[in-house]
Amino acid sequence: MAEEYYHNIHKVLSNTHITESTFILRIERNGLEYTPGQHLVLGRKDEGEFRQYSLYSSKDDPFFEILVKEVEDGEVSPKLKKLVAGDEVEINGPMGYFTISDARRKAHPIVMISTGTGIAPFKSFIASYNDMNYELIHGVRTIDEAYERDFYSKNKLTVCTSRDEKGDFKGRVTDYLKTQAFDKDTLFYLCGNSEMIFDAMELLKEQGMNSNNMFAEVYF
Amino acid sequence: MRYHLIVLGCQMNLSDSERVKSVIEGMGFKHTDNEDEADMLGVLSCSVRQKPIDKVYSRIHKWNKIKNKRNLITFVSGCVLPDDKKKFLKLFDFVFDMSELNNYPTMLKEYGIVTPLSLKNDIEENSVDQKEEKAELVTPEFSLNAVNLKSAQSKPSLPNNKNIFKLWDVKPHYESEFEAFVPIQNGCDKFCSYCAVPYTRGREVSRPSDEIVAEVKQLMQDGYKSITLLGQNVNSYGLDNKEEINFAQLLEEIGKLGNELKHKCWVYFTSPHPRDMSRDVVEAISKYDILGKQIHLPLQSGDDQVLVKMNRKHNVDRYRESIAHIKELVPQATLFTDIIVGFTSETEEQFMNTMDSFDEFKFNMAYIAMYSPRPGAQSFRWKDDIPKDTKKDRLQRLTQKLVSISGQYNKNLIGSEIDVLIRTTERKTGYLSGHNEGKIITRILSKDTNLIGQIVKAKVTESSGFSITAELI
Repeated sequence: MAEEYYHNIHKVLSNTHITESTFILRIERNGLEYTPGQHLVLGRKDEGEFRQYSLYSSKDDPFFEILVKEVEDGEVSPKLKKLVAGDEVEINGPMGYFTISDARRKAHPIVMISTGTGIAPFKSFIASYNDMNYELIHGVRTIDEAYERDFYSKNKLTVCTSRDEKGDFKGRVTDYLKTQAFDKDTLFYLCGNSEMIFDAMELLKEQGMNSNNMFAEVYF
Repeated sequence: MRYHLIVLGCQMNLSDSERVKSVIEGMGFKHTDNEDEADMLGVLSCSVRQKPIDKVYSRIHKWNKIKNKRNLITFVSGCVLPDDKKKFLKLFDFVFDMSELNNYPTMLKEYGIVTPLSLKNDIEENSVDQKEEKAELVTPEFSLNAVNLKSAQSKPSLPNNKNIFKLWDVKPHYESEFEAFVPIQNGCDKFCSYCAVPYTRGREVSRPSDEIVAEVKQLMQDGYKSITLLGQNVNSYGLDNKEEINFAQLLEEIGKLGNELKHKCWVYFTSPHPRDMSRDVVEAISKYDILGKQIHLPLQSGDDQVLVKMNRKHNVDRYRESIAHIKELVPQATLFTDIIVGFTSETEEQFMNTMDSFDEFKFNMAYIAMYSPRPGAQSFRWKDDIPKDTKKDRLQRLTQKLVSISGQYNKNLIGSEIDVLIRTTERKTGYLSGHNEGKIITRILSKDTNLIGQIVKAKVTESSGFSITAELI
């Protein structure tokens, strides 16, 4: 196993604020291996508090990026928000099994369902694999939370907005799913809050989808 | 010079303690049960609940008072959360990850602390003329005098498994002559929301399979009767290293070893995760006599919504699939599980789904815990909103259900002939106590303590909720 596998102090390269509360933190990759869908355990150096963040960047990027929304009164995200280039963070990982194998990717249509910053691993999938037959559904409250919307092909992204009418669909992700029909061999990847994931899974099961074809990463 | 070690928590810590003792005794220290006469005091900590951590703080405050009166070396290792680690650095002389155990003698040396062995070596390295002078220099005081050393102060606080392989190189000082634990994997990448292990043990790392097979082989040759493969996620074995075999293949290797050595022994494993409980694993168990027909598969909840909230990465259907494989391929296997009742926001209906799962899966044993927030875990930040009385009530109802199900299974064993590993004696009753291959507690009326550590034939005569009584044949 490579020695670099264990290095866990990384320098911040940039911190881009894309909304008032959400930012993209770019840090050194230091040669670490990474499979899209994996996450880091990350915290500000010497603080002793850590959270999990899915990687937002492509497997081919020479850096790591995470997408973070500041949690009011949170222990970690407000501190990460203040980081600037040259500061240091401590990480463990990348790790986790929320990944898509080559075989699965090539054999099945893929529907990715997310809320909020739960879009992060899907951005990484899409940026890393150009052979995916996918549809991306992103649930947000208002259109400004549809992070980096222009990155995705317009015909593959559906933004569901629950509090304004500026998205592609007015309502929650689960409302949108009720209007859709999917092929039986579709693989569903879900990432976001636990209520959305549970409700979406129940809906899909009611529509006759196989629960063994559903994969979830819960954000808390 | 003597040492005293306090071990808190799980089987993994017990297993690690066998290696810690080996390293400390390698420096020439002798073990003592009496902490008042120890020169070195250590604790293997557990962060699963707050109570063990409170014990660590209580102990070190006591030890630091003793340090004002006499020389003493203190250390802490085991499962320590980053936040506690920072505090421990100010309280203990040495704070190290288990993966750094091998460096512990070097750490002592670097701080000029004299150990019995270094004293012996120093003396032997010097001429006869210098002996007296050298001995005078180093005895009777340690060069450490009530100073808190901060051995890991400048290091990252997240667990780093870089040297975990070196821990596994240490030959353990086995506590028992017939039961042994063999670590095969360390760490956890699963991040269940109620658990802090990923923050204390670090990421999943698999021990090289050739080392595991060699250790198991040696134990079989030494006559061990029960060997348990240990890890936080044993059946994730090999997933971290593309060049390593997977868990099912590891079981196959051990199974073949059992066939080759023809030694009567049961090999178990704990704990697996339902996500990785593949059919291959169950097939391996079914093929080899040496692989114990007892499977411990934590369910945690019988409700899908609770499982999502627990971030378990499996649902009841996935669990059901694994159980179907077990019932098909190893129908004689007993089934153990872990359950948490009263998890944050668990409704009565959700709890009833767990009750129903007991009827469906027919567990022989369940380790049922009332939910309590664990510092460092995700759910620690959520409101613990199920009243204690409700948790107690759910615990009681589920336990009653378990007693009824396991009691019926045990009743059906009456009249059957079984193999029993005798482990100990019950002082009050005069019974020998042990377990059968399925780990059902078995009592035998006999005072023959020579049978301890032996697998004997017995006939089941009586049963109760969690145990059976048998007569020697």
